[in-house]
Amino acid sequence: MKKTLLAALLFGFATPLFAADAIKLAITGPFTGGSAPMGASMRDGAKLAIGEINAAGGVTVGGKKLKIEIIERDDEAKNDRGALIAQELASMDDLSGVIGSVNTGVVIAGDKHLQEKGITKIITPAAGSASMTQWSKAGVADLSIFRFAAHDGIQSGMVVEEAINRKFTKVAILHDATNYGVSGRDDLLAQIKAQGNKLEVVATEKFNIGDKDMTAQLIKAKTAGAQAILIWGIGPELAAVANGMAKNDLNVPLIGGWTLSMSNYIDNAGKNGNGTLMPQTFIEEAISPKAKSFIEGYHKAYKVDRIPSPVSAAQGYDAVYIFAAAVKQAQSTDTKKIKEALEDLKEPVKGVIATWKHPFSKWNPADVQTHEAFRRENVVMGLVKDGHVVFGNEADKQRLTKQEK
Amino acid sequence: MEVIFQMGVSGALMGLVYALIAYGFQLTFSTSKSINFGQGELVMVSAFISLTLLNLGLPYWLMVPCGLLCGALLGLVVERLAVRLALEQKSEGWILMSIIIGLFAYSAAENIWGRDDHPFPTPISSEPMHFSGISITPVELSVAIGVLSVMGLIELFKRKTLWGKAFEAVSADRDAAELMGISARRTIMLSYGLSGLVAAMAGILISPITTVGPTMASALILKAFAVAVVAGLDSGFGVVVVGLFLGALESLASYYIGSGWREAPGLILLILALAMKPNGVFGKASIRKV
Repeated sequence: MKKTLLAALLFGFATPLFAADAIKLAITGPFTGGSAPMGASMRDGAKLAIGEINAAGGVTVGGKKLKIEIIERDDEAKNDRGALIAQELASMDDLSGVIGSVNTGVVIAGDKHLQEKGITKIITPAAGSASMTQWSKAGVADLSIFRFAAHDGIQSGMVVEEAINRKFTKVAILHDATNYGVSGRDDLLAQIKAQGNKLEVVATEKFNIGDKDMTAQLIKAKTAGAQAILIWGIGPELAAVANGMAKNDLNVPLIGGWTLSMSNYIDNAGKNGNGTLMPQTFIEEAISPKAKSFIEGYHKAYKVDRIPSPVSAAQGYDAVYIFAAAVKQAQSTDTKKIKEALEDLKEPVKGVIATWKHPFSKWNPADVQTHEAFRRENVVMGLVKDGHVVFGNEADKQRLTKQEK
Repeated sequence: MEVIFQMGVSGALMGLVYALIAYGFQLTFSTSKSINFGQGELVMVSAFISLTLLNLGLPYWLMVPCGLLCGALLGLVVERLAVRLALEQKSEGWILMSIIIGLFAYSAAENIWGRDDHPFPTPISSEPMHFSGISITPVELSVAIGVLSVMGLIELFKRKTLWGKAFEAVSADRDAAELMGISARRTIMLSYGLSGLVAAMAGILISPITTVGPTMASALILKAFAVAVVAGLDSGFGVVVVGLFLGALESLASYYIGSGWREAPGLILLILALAMKPNGVFGKASIRKV
């Protein structure tokens, strides 16, 4: 009798207390400033997915359909803003998870607050290697941070591979002076070594955020006889490099990180951007019905005829579906249970980039890959052509089209 | 050898923009002994206004005078809000006031046009031309021509017209000029208007190269200030020489010492000038009657 009473009491009081009526998902990133094409496209792609999920009634948790509620925060690509936002999010009791971030510095400043409270975060669309290696270096045993982005190792590997495939022997490396640029340079140098030292680095030059005149760096690359420029930076400065190359008659290919697909690179470089090569996780071409409906959905919802950063939008979109799948599997809005489900997703998630089968696994500090979703085969080479990013290699396009069928 | 010339020429052409902005400082300093610390924001806002005019469909040749007019009007606004009252009270309040107006303009630009950089379309080609191994783009040449012609026209105006002579008179001795019936207030207004016009010209000329964004002038303005101080705040000819020199020096430094050291020689030059020639290399020694 006592037991049933207790059970009744518990049931009667506990359920309304613990059952949330929505899944609270925070989206953070730079929605203004130089990194905005990435941040805002990711946000808009994620919102598109959330809109679709909510329109279908939401995610079924404990026999009840719950809608996803968005908490949006602009970190302005500033480390201190990122830290403040992370602290604010960490103090929320009913937050189910966080999606976002572009800038490595912001991630390093902010994620520790989330990890401390065990809040599940999926880093997308970007952030350099340090965003994950910081946890393996610290030997964290239980990690609530996941990364859903083509990590720099894959990207730099592809950049070096492309230069070798094109039979270049002398290259110059240009990078910006931020964490992102410097770790990009180190990755490139490591990859050149790993791929058999087939490339000779004839010049290594850096530039600062906001620099417009790249003449000195480019003349150095030119006089040293560089056949290609491998570059790590973000939109506006990359455009200054492309324009400077045209001015100084340095007609060699520009190959670099995926930021070369940002609209503020493509627009500011104009025709000087043609021929630029960069790794991409998604190309804005309707090669499958799923891709077609995503691209058309995005264009219609945000009244554009080109996604500012297609990669970011597609990653934001897929990240939300993966997150929703984890909520469904966990049958809970509790962020710790969602984390456990993410580490062992049973059902494949059909996304616009790929069909994600078991994207993450149990965190192992010795192997960052356990919390990384992207593998080499999810990434293709993109090429800038008249203001759009298209497939750089026809073989990639055919492979993906076949995969979808 | 070719490299030295290429680096020097590219840098010197950029240096002319520093000179033009520095010239804007000089114009107001000569009449009122005050300068607009928000001059960089004036450059930026004028560039944004010009870009908006272009986007509204105004042809380039019509946009230039309209943009310049807006710059001149903005200069007058700064004079009215920040400078006039402070000068009447013989206080140094204009320093803080012009900084405040600059900050306000910066926030306004961020809210109206956003924080992103925008390309600035120009009919002038950016295809490089070659002069015995040195490549220069027509856009860069247009900057040089624009800077020198605006400065030339203003100098002519100062020497040949009645208004210009009043300007010179007030610069030479404000009290004596007022006794001669010249309105110092109007002359100061004129100098701020011209200074705004010069800022707008700098914005229009530099935008096709740097793109337009709220932070576009923040680096420029510091260097312009260095140019103005090194040259002396009363020598129009001096700013051109020092601007060319500083631009070329920066460019060569970033090539020979390393791109991280770009700004260093300019700053060393500034310290040397302040220590050895506080009135500027081309400045006149000031005689203060006690």
